[in-house]
Parts: sequence; structure tokens; C-alpha cells
Amino acid sequence: MSAITQKETGGEALFLGDIRKTYHTGTVDVPVLKGVNFEVRRGEFIGIMGSSGSGKSTLLNILGLLDKPSSGVYRLDGQAVETLSDYELTMIRNIKIGFVFQAFNLFPHLTVQENIEVPMMYAGVDIKTRHRISEEMAGKVKLAHRLDHRPTQLSGGECQRVAVARSLVNNPTFILADEPTGNLDEKTGTEIMNLFHELHRAGTTIVMVTHNPQYESEYDRVIYLRNGRKWRVIDNVNHKTEEFET
Amino acid sequence: MKLRDSLWLSFHNLMLHKIRSILTSLGIIFGVGSVIAMLSISEGAKREALSQIESMGVDNILISTRRPPPAGKDVSENTNNSNMETYGLTERDRKHILRMDNVQSISTARNSRKSILRGTTRLDVSLFGVTLDFLNACRSDIVEGRWLSPVDGDRNVCVIGMGAKRSLFSITERDIVGRVIGVGDDAYVIVGILENLKGTTIDGVGSPNNGIFISKKASDAIYGKMSVERVNGRTQIEVVDYDTFIVKVMDVSYIDYTAKRIAAYLSKMHNDVKDWEMVVPLDILKQREQTQNIFTIVMSSIAGISLLVGGIGIMNIMLANVYERRKEIGTRRALGAQKGDIIRQFLFETIFLTSIGGSIGVALGLLIAKIVTQYANWPVAFSIWFIMLALLISAVIGIIFGTYPAWKAAQQNPIDVLRAE
Repeated sequence: MSAITQKETGGEALFLGDIRKTYHTGTVDVPVLKGVNFEVRRGEFIGIMGSSGSGKSTLLNILGLLDKPSSGVYRLDGQAVETLSDYELTMIRNIKIGFVFQAFNLFPHLTVQENIEVPMMYAGVDIKTRHRISEEMAGKVKLAHRLDHRPTQLSGGECQRVAVARSLVNNPTFILADEPTGNLDEKTGTEIMNLFHELHRAGTTIVMVTHNPQYESEYDRVIYLRNGRKWRVIDNVNHKTEEFET
Repeated sequence: MKLRDSLWLSFHNLMLHKIRSILTSLGIIFGVGSVIAMLSISEGAKREALSQIESMGVDNILISTRRPPPAGKDVSENTNNSNMETYGLTERDRKHILRMDNVQSISTARNSRKSILRGTTRLDVSLFGVTLDFLNACRSDIVEGRWLSPVDGDRNVCVIGMGAKRSLFSITERDIVGRVIGVGDDAYVIVGILENLKGTTIDGVGSPNNGIFISKKASDAIYGKMSVERVNGRTQIEVVDYDTFIVKVMDVSYIDYTAKRIAAYLSKMHNDVKDWEMVVPLDILKQREQTQNIFTIVMSSIAGISLLVGGIGIMNIMLANVYERRKEIGTRRALGAQKGDIIRQFLFETIFLTSIGGSIGVALGLLIAKIVTQYANWPVAFSIWFIMLALLISAVIGIIFGTYPAWKAAQQNPIDVLRAE
């Protein structure tokens, strides 16, 4: 696993080519994504922004392999995923995508350590290795002293840090974060952003979906969606802004 | 996902809602409880019937004398206020039956029809003249002294049953063997005490425990075949050769055939007068088993229905459970749980529920059976197989009624639930 994922920074992590998604409600077709193109390179920290109705959520589901596009190409880690079965998609989700949710989505009855270990459990990792990795990841998010606590005993910020640790355990190709600061106050939100920056500096690829423009300048690139299309890309590394017709 | 992890996860989830889990499995608890109680009680009844009937001997045919119904009697025959009746099994019957195929031996008993008194109280004890093989035929044992022997000839010696001993002597009296008891004008030396622990009763004799036994030879010499009794100022004379035949057959598999032949012979010889009765313990045994089986089937159906109801109850709760845990399921699917993992998680939860319910049900059933023994005085019998069966049934119910909710859980679309608050 490590041989595949430890590719050089700068190579292609994700590629989306002309992704379209149309929902059929009765007799009316509702196009939600009308051809979205972009790629994410290894080690990049990408923000995807847009107001509600922009197609952001649908794009998130497609990126997370929870939904399939109506047409278009989606390549994850060099592999086209449109034709894969539910079983294969689940395996890829498990190993190559690290999910971080707005509402943390921790299991309240499991301890912090058990929560962190869930994706490894589904990957069939043995318990010894699970313990070793979960302790290491808890250390990374500075929760090593909280391993035996339950999520109800933690603050919101701590919960989100547990979720981040959980997203890292299978050494994924990228982390897919959905409004990770949405349920947190500003100070804690900034802390979580700093955690993502730390991971970013260590070489982790991150795609963050948000409607909050507050951290716009902190991403390598920000992709703005409007009406199911990409309309503006801000490149903070090269200090460029591109605009597209929608 | 490893099996061990699946099992742990399911068990863990149940333990989160202990009360709900117990309530959910109540149906199974009572279903399995009733199955266990029913099985124990019916098995107990079966075993008791079996031992009761076996106590009469499955290789025996019991024939006894009956006083014939009065309808056929000619009243005008009465002379001098007396009434003489001749009926029952005769010496000729005995000789003929003994010559039949498959008949090994015949033990006989004849009631002397003498009242046995202690002081002026009439006791529920009778004196019988019996053949020397009667001790084995009535399945009793000598507990003190000895049984009648050929060397006794027609001397006045007797063996008394345990119950007769209690009636005749007070409990503190020792050394009963060697004592003399008086019956009518005759006196007998007690040479032994017999006891029947199997609960045997023989038509015409009753329980061997309540008998006083003398040899046939002595009985013939002292009482002959005639008994004279004064009833309501009338003299009643009865001529009876034998009261009971215990016919032992050589091959049990032909016992029905032998019994039919004896019955046919007796009907013919007794001119269709029903002054005899036949009991084939093996037949009764078969009949009892048949009724027992019907009882078991009926009870099983009732228990089965309660198990079905319990299973449906569990399915209901599990379906509600799936709905309640949509977000958990969606999160698990996003984090890499295969549909199979979700199915296993919920299926194992149901199987755990029914199995735990089944175990509690087994305990409950045993308790009910115990109470029944205690208060209703019914015999119950337990078997490790009942318990295995009950646990197997509850696991199977878990699989049957857990599959649909588990499948339903696996079909949950993670998109719909992930963003739900």
C-alpha cells in the first residue's frame, strides 16, 4: 500500500474530466453538474467553494465515490472509477479516501481509539497493527492522552481531531473534508485549519468542500462552483485568478 | 472485516441498550421457555407412563376374573335365600392357554375372599393363593425372610406385602417374620415380607404390597374353589377357580397374536359372557405413546406460534433500529464498510438477541417445569438435547427474522444520510 501512495509530490492524485450529473425527477431532468473539469496534484490543498445549489454537495458525493456521475471521467490515483462495482468502490473509499465530516460522525459508544481504528477494521488490519497506528495518529492530532475517552467527553474541536486521525489511518490518496469547521466556533475552527495545514506541510493531499470564504487565502487553490460549473479558480501559489463563463 | 470484529461490534451494540435488548427478546424468551417446559413435562409424562406400564411387564398378558353383569342372571333360581354363582377363569382355561404357541408360563392367583380383620376393623388386605412363580410375575422382591417354597407343601405359611404388614402390625413392632396371623378360622406363620417398588397393579390382585400370599396348594386344601359370604342377610356362594392369570409369552413381537387367540378362546368357552378381562401392557404402552405424541404435536404448535410471534417482534424492532441508525450505517459505508459487513453486523445482532433470549428462555422453561413438579406433582424429565434444540431454534429464528432488516440496512444509501443532522 505504501509503495503506491508514496508517489512523488506533484503527480496526479485526482482527475475530473467533464463530470456531469443529472437527476431525473419524474418527467423533468434537473442538471446539477454541467461539466466540471479539474485535477488535484499530490500534496495540494484544494478548497471547493460555492453557495448552496451550486452543485457542491453532488460533487462531494462523486469525489467520495458515494455517487456516480451521469457522464465524464473520474480518475483516482490513476484508476478510472466509473465502471467499478459497489464492492470495489467501497474498497477504494476505505483505502484511498479519508473522510472528515462536518458533524464529525464519530461513533458515540466507541472510545477515541476504537473510533480511529474503524476504517482499519473494515480493511481487515489485525488488532496489534491497529493499536500501533491509532496511537501514532492520535499523537499526530495531539490526543494521545484521550485514547480511552468517549466522544461525549470531548469538545467539538477534539472530536474533529479524532475524525481527522481516523481519516489518516489507511494512508489515503487524499482527505475529503466536508465543512470540517462548520460545527465549530471560530477559534476552534482555526485550530482545525492549522491541523490541516500541518498535514499539508507533511505532504498530505486535501480536498476541502466549504461555503465559508473565510479561509480562502489558505488553500493552494480554490475552485468556485456556480450553477453546476466551475467559474473561478484562485491559485494562491502562483497568485493567479482564472474566470470562466457559466 | 474480520469475523471477530463483526461479532464484537454486534455484541457491543446490543450492550448499549440492555433493557431494550431484553424487552425485544421477550417473545423468544417465552417461546423457548414454553418449548422447554412443554418438552420436559411431556417427556416426564411419557417416562412415567412407560415405567408404570413396564411395571406390569411388557412380555405379560394379564387376564382377570370379573363378576359377570347381573342382566343375564336368572333370579328365579334363588333358593333358600341363597345364591350360587360360578364364573371366571377356570382350570380348563389355564391348561388350554398353557398349551398355546408362544405361551411360556402362567402364574395364577386366587382371592380367598376372606375378610381380614385387625381387632374388629376390616382391613384393605386380601389373602391370595398363588403359584410359586408369582413373586417374579408380580415384579416384587423379598425384603425380609423368604418367599414360598415347594417344601412348604400345604403347610400354613404365608408371605405378606409391605402394605399389609403396616396394616396388620404397628410401626414399632419388630421381628414380624415368624409371627402368626389369623385369617378367619385359620392361622398362618409369616415366613417373609415382599415389597413392590415399581407401583405394579394387577387386575384381580391390586398392588402386591397389600396382599397376603399362601401357596396354591395350601389355598386349594384350605379354601377350595368355593367362597361363602353373607351379604344383606343372604348367603352368597361363589365358585371361582382363579382370579388372575399372568401369562408370560416367549416372543414379545407375537404378543398381539397370542392375546387375540386367548381372547377368542375365552369368548368361545365362556359363551360370550364377559366374566373375564384382558390387559396387554404393551398395547396400553403403544396407545399411551400415541396420545402422548398427539399432545406433543399440539403443544409444539402452540410453542411454535409463540416463537413465530417472538420472531416477528424482533424483526419489527430491528427494522426500527435500522431506521434509527441510518447515520451510523451511512458513516460506516463511507468509511469502507461493505454491504456484507453491514448485513453481518445487523444479522449477528439479531442472532445474539434471539440466542440470549433463548438461553434465558431455557432457564425459564426449566423453572416452570420445576414449579410444575413441585406443585402439580407431575413428573418432568430434562434432557440436554432439549436445551440444544431450543438454542438451535432460537439461532435459526434470529437468522430467519434478522435477514430482512439486515438487508434493508445494507441498502441504505450513504448519500442520503451523511449530511443529515
